[in-house]
Amino acid sequence: MRKALQLLLLLVVLASCEDVIEVEVPAEEARLVIDAIIRVDTSETLIRPAIKVTRSTSFFEEAQPVSNITQMTISLLGTNGTGDDFLVLEETEAGSGIYQDPEAVLVDSLVVGRLLLQIEHEGRLYFAETQYVPSVQIDNLQQGDDTLFSEDDTEVIVEITDTPGEDNFYVFDFGFSEFLTIQDQFFEGQSFEFSYFYETELDSGQELEISVLGADQGFFDYMTLLVEQTQADGGVFQTPVATVRGNIFDVTDLDNDQVVDNVGQPDVFPLGYFAVVQEFKSQLTLQD
Amino acid sequence: MRSLTPSLKAKAVLTVLFFALLSNASGQKRYTLSGTIREASSNETLIGATIALPELKTGTTTNEYGFYSITLPAGEYQLWISSLGFEDVRQTILLDKDLSLDLFMQEAAEQLEEVVVSEDVEKLDIRKPQMSVNTLAVSTIKQIPVVLGEADVIKSLVLLPGVTNAGEASSGFNVRGGATDQNLILLDEAIIFNSSHLFGFFSVFNPDAIKDIKLYKGGIPARYGGRVSSVLEIFQKEGNSKELKVQGGIGAVASRLLMEGPIKKEESSFLVGGRASYAHLFLPLFDIDNRAYFYDVNTKLNFKLNARNNLYLSGYFGRDLFSINERFINVYGNGVGNLRWTHLFSDKLFSNLSLIYSDYYYGLELDFVGFRWNSGIQNFNLKYDLKHYVNDKLQINYGLNNIYYVFNPGEIEPNRPDSGIIEEQLTKKYANESAAYIDIEQELADGLRVNYGLRASHFDRLGQDEFFVYENDNPVEFDPFLLVYQEATPIDTVNPGRSGSLKRFFNLEPRVSVSWSFNGKSAIKASATRMAQYLHLISNTSSPTPLDVWTPSGPFVEPQLVDQYAAGYFRDINNGAYSLEIEGYYKDIDNRIDYIDGADLIANEAIERVILNGEARAYGLEFLLRKNSGDFTGWLAYTLSRSEQRTPGRDLGIDNGRSGLETGINRGEWYVTPFDKTHDLSLFGNLEISPRFSINANFVYQTGQPTNFPVGQFDFQGISVPIYGFRNQQRLPDYHRLDLSAKLLTKQKPGSSFQGEWVFSIYNAYNRMNAASINFRQNNDTGVNEAVRTSIFGIVPSVTYNFKF
Repeated sequence: MRKALQLLLLLVVLASCEDVIEVEVPAEEARLVIDAIIRVDTSETLIRPAIKVTRSTSFFEEAQPVSNITQMTISLLGTNGTGDDFLVLEETEAGSGIYQDPEAVLVDSLVVGRLLLQIEHEGRLYFAETQYVPSVQIDNLQQGDDTLFSEDDTEVIVEITDTPGEDNFYVFDFGFSEFLTIQDQFFEGQSFEFSYFYETELDSGQELEISVLGADQGFFDYMTLLVEQTQADGGVFQTPVATVRGNIFDVTDLDNDQVVDNVGQPDVFPLGYFAVVQEFKSQLTLQD
Repeated sequence: MRSLTPSLKAKAVLTVLFFALLSNASGQKRYTLSGTIREASSNETLIGATIALPELKTGTTTNEYGFYSITLPAGEYQLWISSLGFEDVRQTILLDKDLSLDLFMQEAAEQLEEVVVSEDVEKLDIRKPQMSVNTLAVSTIKQIPVVLGEADVIKSLVLLPGVTNAGEASSGFNVRGGATDQNLILLDEAIIFNSSHLFGFFSVFNPDAIKDIKLYKGGIPARYGGRVSSVLEIFQKEGNSKELKVQGGIGAVASRLLMEGPIKKEESSFLVGGRASYAHLFLPLFDIDNRAYFYDVNTKLNFKLNARNNLYLSGYFGRDLFSINERFINVYGNGVGNLRWTHLFSDKLFSNLSLIYSDYYYGLELDFVGFRWNSGIQNFNLKYDLKHYVNDKLQINYGLNNIYYVFNPGEIEPNRPDSGIIEEQLTKKYANESAAYIDIEQELADGLRVNYGLRASHFDRLGQDEFFVYENDNPVEFDPFLLVYQEATPIDTVNPGRSGSLKRFFNLEPRVSVSWSFNGKSAIKASATRMAQYLHLISNTSSPTPLDVWTPSGPFVEPQLVDQYAAGYFRDINNGAYSLEIEGYYKDIDNRIDYIDGADLIANEAIERVILNGEARAYGLEFLLRKNSGDFTGWLAYTLSRSEQRTPGRDLGIDNGRSGLETGINRGEWYVTPFDKTHDLSLFGNLEISPRFSINANFVYQTGQPTNFPVGQFDFQGISVPIYGFRNQQRLPDYHRLDLSAKLLTKQKPGSSFQGEWVFSIYNAYNRMNAASINFRQNNDTGVNEAVRTSIFGIVPSVTYNFKF
């Protein structure tokens, strides 16, 4: 219960003179990027999780899909510490970088216990661990008519009810690559309504789909950093920029008996995040 | 020969002091000459006016209250009294008994003749041990062109060596590679926590109300403490005790009005001044309803109780408001009240008792989430200072200071009835800072002067209602696999109560400066200073908003400690027409805090969970050449410097036969601070074409501010995420700018005291688009990544009309 509302970061202080300029940017070596956010719809019985693997590029280049993953599995960690593979993922379409198990699994099998993700690529072994996090329903979703920075702003008003008695974190997906992270510090157990202003210019008749994803502190922190660093305005209350490291790491040279940390190889890591979260969706059609 | 042991050194110092006192007692009969020096037309006391006795080659200057005292052998002497902008006074005195002599000086400018300012306070005084001081006369500040025509204290100081700021729209200023929170800003001895209006466009000091400005960058005397980088001391005028005077100005952004006059003639006076900017200042920048304005009020009452007692009551109140569409509202500002009593115990012993209340408020309202956040810091400051003028070669200053602080990290409340926000008061923090000091100014031999002193400071972080307890007392955890710092979860919350103490700190802060002047023209000066700072500003320096949350030292945050060494060469050229100052400095700062990646600072109840203790260092070379007299005056200032910080990882303490360190910030390597400026050049010139018409210009050039460019990008959930490497590895493009202005005094009608003045200025004359920041983003419409430069001001012409009567 310590982080403030992340919404603050949406604001720009001075819309002074802005222009697009040419800048020479340094380039780091490409890294593997694993997008393993598995959104679970608990009203369904079966699920076919998909994981997307790409390669990072320099800032002005396009991201490239990675098709040469040699092995990808999700397993349930048993009480004896060994994994029980129940998903073996393969690239669905050559060159897409999207990996899925050909068979669907029961939703119930994902929502209990500790889940392990293991990936093998070009002789390197990657590993991540997570646990399912539930979310809450969107109680009400409506269009607002206020604006914040320009008359073309689109406002949506979202209402949720926080799960009482625990620290909760929420990640909202507003579509158009716009995300918002919120924690319940100041509305613990309450019904909470807030406004969101789209960065993207939207027209009336546009269909919007808004999701609320459950999050643990790790996923919340990760998404918060991603959103902050993506904010085009540099953020009013900007935090120091950094490489956003996720929860997937390179275990190739780690031997669990001898080495219990990763500080010896601080530059060897993939990007991305592995999380299994409940998702609730709500739709809205924009009016004039 | 072996070096002296510390105790022997202390004895040596005491012996010197003893002989100095002794020499007073022996020899010829000695008498004391004392009094105040005032401006004849208004009775305003003059700070730093010089009383020279050419026969004895000695002299003194007036203190902050215009008081002087000098003890000399009996005899008949010439007195030469001088002060910037005033006619020199020459007088012969017969000193055959203790003499009280109040002196009055005529303002030189009033004659409207060719004025030769021969004794300029800005001109360096090569004999005083004081070094690393920038003094600016208010008249100079009013000459310097600034954006939108408002004369500005801080914008002017930035033109001197060793002082920088981040350019437009940045709060505060940086002195010798220090952070903005390391400046002690005193307005009539009260601490000011934020020096900027409107995100740094203006400073909070109304130049019409100010009498004297002094910035200590190093060699800081022991009477100051609590900040590690600099002391900016500003004194307000006392008010005219002879007649009612009004002055004001109408500018493009703000207008101001100041009135001063006697309450009871010759005995008491008042001063009240106000400034306000016009609302909707930034309206043209948006096409929607938004407001940004500031106002401030300066007041001062001055009562002369009798020849030995004076009472001063001064106040400052300022607020800034910034609002977008009434949905985002940010209000902040200082309020200061100050009661001072100066008492003369004898003609050699001057005392000043100050009772100061200061309040800083910072509030934020976010209507779209129904959230209001009020935070602030209050302090009650009791100060007692004594100045003992032992003889013409020795002055001893000593005193006590106690400050009680209340920190309010935030009160969160719903801003409307339908808001789901729950009211919450984040735990208030309390602290008490006390200090005692002794500060000795002494002339050891002809031309050799020392200023040495010691400050003993004590900081008591008092108990509070709720206090988090962490496993192993560690509020910031390190994940040894993911190599990221994370906030620890407290294992317990205790209630230590308000009576106890959470942690105490004690520091001895020795200060010494030496000056050796020779051949009447040159001086070599050196100083060593140790200072402690117990408060920390929680702020992300790259942000233009003044997110001013201060936090006290305590169980998890150590006080900042600096050791600064400076040495310099000073020279008068051509009999004072020019002066040259060259100074080098080195600073070492312990316990400089840095933030973990993704630290969130707003309404943060447990700031200890997002900060790491590190260290900082800065070094540089400053060069200042001034032309002090003639039709053309001005200066060339250049600073070559570096400012770095380092936050090494802590020991992981893994108990399996190997040891490891956390990765720290930037792998624990030194990296430049956000305010590192390799080159900083300023050129200022003022040409007086006629007594009524002058033009002036300034040019600044500085190395671009350190920043971060992405070293790559990746795609995640449809977001194009920039990858950043280590902090502060790149720089913005170099910053440079030329400003011009012209000043025209209107013709004064005979018999009228009304005087008008037009100031025409052009800021950024060649329209350089200096980057305040470069942001990297994905274009929402095209989906293509781009780099966007934000510049605050292009060319800005403006006109201001000032008047006084």
